[in-house]
Amino acid sequence: MYRLIFLFIFLFWAGLFQPALGHESQPGSVELVEIGEDRYRVTWKAPIYYGKPHPARLELPESWQTLGQPTERRRANDIVFERVVTIGQRGLDGSILKFPGLETTITDVYVRVKRADGSQATSVVRPTKPWTELRGERPWYETSREYLFLGFHHILLGIDHLLFVLGLLLIVKNRVMLIKTITSFTVAHSVTLGIATLGYAQAPLPPLNAAIALSILFLGPEIVRVKRGQTSLTIRYPWLIAFGFGLLHGFGFASGLSTTGMPQAELPWALLCFNVGVELGQLLFVFTALGLVWAFRTLQVHWPRWVLWLPGYTVGSLGAYWTIQRTVMLIRGF
Amino acid sequence: MKRGCIQRTGALVLGVLGVIFLLPAAAFAHLVTTGMGPVYDGIGHLLLTPEDLVPVIALSLYCGMRGARAGRYAMFMLPLAWLLGGLVGLNLDLDVTIPVPALSFLLLGGLIAADANLPDQLIGPMTVMIGLLHGVFNGLVLKSGPGGPALLGIMGALFVLVALMSAFVVSLERPWTRIVVRVMGSWVAASGMLMIGWYFRGQLS
Repeated sequence: MYRLIFLFIFLFWAGLFQPALGHESQPGSVELVEIGEDRYRVTWKAPIYYGKPHPARLELPESWQTLGQPTERRRANDIVFERVVTIGQRGLDGSILKFPGLETTITDVYVRVKRADGSQATSVVRPTKPWTELRGERPWYETSREYLFLGFHHILLGIDHLLFVLGLLLIVKNRVMLIKTITSFTVAHSVTLGIATLGYAQAPLPPLNAAIALSILFLGPEIVRVKRGQTSLTIRYPWLIAFGFGLLHGFGFASGLSTTGMPQAELPWALLCFNVGVELGQLLFVFTALGLVWAFRTLQVHWPRWVLWLPGYTVGSLGAYWTIQRTVMLIRGF
Repeated sequence: MKRGCIQRTGALVLGVLGVIFLLPAAAFAHLVTTGMGPVYDGIGHLLLTPEDLVPVIALSLYCGMRGARAGRYAMFMLPLAWLLGGLVGLNLDLDVTIPVPALSFLLLGGLIAADANLPDQLIGPMTVMIGLLHGVFNGLVLKSGPGGPALLGIMGALFVLVALMSAFVVSLERPWTRIVVRVMGSWVAASGMLMIGWYFRGQLS
């Protein structure tokens, strides 16, 4: 019977997400590279959005003049627009880049300026404020806010990370073990996030994503074992598993941060803020899950027996689906 | 699960980990291929649209005031009715302007402010009606964007919101806390009146 439920859930998710080859919240990016006096090469990478060209476009300041013919290349996950511009006597600082259409999407755009003297500046444009003012130096609190939100967004939009945390929550049996397990996961992913962002180690993304999916699949049977009253190493020491797989998830978080290509000077502070954002998002998720359990008790919800098995089978079947999907993508060389 | 099966899963995990650290490619971009984008769109749509969010909160507060039974009912029925309405909206081709949010604000805010003791036989249909109406208009909006999967996101967010808010109100024991909830209801009703005023002003001009 439970195998049938498992199969049903697997087929449901497989059917639902069949056409999904790209993440709709994949960020876009704009890079301005100084290639001569007053000249910049502007590269705008617009991600594919629901299988169509992205609704947002890049609007440069009116005073900028395009030199030569702009180019456009369509790739698997984005369209790359490139042009060379002269920015005039006013310089870059204070110029405003606009992204009309971004407000109707959930896409963030990373803007990076590389000057000839080697200095760099970055900023993140969000749908809620679809423009950015280019500046050489930014106050520390602006950088902090930006990376804090980036980390917060990253974990809340990363369903695979959240599902792993949910799996852990379903395994732990008491508050002390919960604190130990969540702390262990936090420490582990902070370690790898740090070493990956600082450039001491790197994990290639396709196999990393497959391994993260595998970590979720690993928890599915363990949750079912908890429900059956059985025990295992994972159930006795969930913090151990949280630490082991947390190292993997940290590399995943790092990939979300490295896309911004931040300047070296901003790196340690940005890393700290990004990590704090990730922790805040994780805490929000954990408290929401615990709040739901409390709400069910307060509202005197008596679930039928089969519903109690659903979380374990959902975690397991989604983990299985993503593992297969990402392994296939890995083999195909996506 | 048998010991051998656990060992096999462990071996698979180790194998994939081995592959990760042996492959030389570098990570340049984050591409989580979960396909959950439209579902997140749905969650975002509900949480960032006050015209939908406020009536949901108001309904949760009201059902919480009426007790655990009403809260349970809203927790299950509102998402289902919203989904049904949304599916209808996705397949409709309407261009009507009915101030549904304003009416919901007014009705629910008024009920909370008055602490009106509606019978269960009325709370149920009212919940379903609000879910259906808001769902239809959501469906019309989502048709040109993320479509059906976004409704699943909205459903999930509704379930969590209603459960948490209703349970919170049910758990309130001190009499003054009930007054605070009623004051919140009066603000919702006042906002509804303003919205209706703006709607009719727009119609007349």
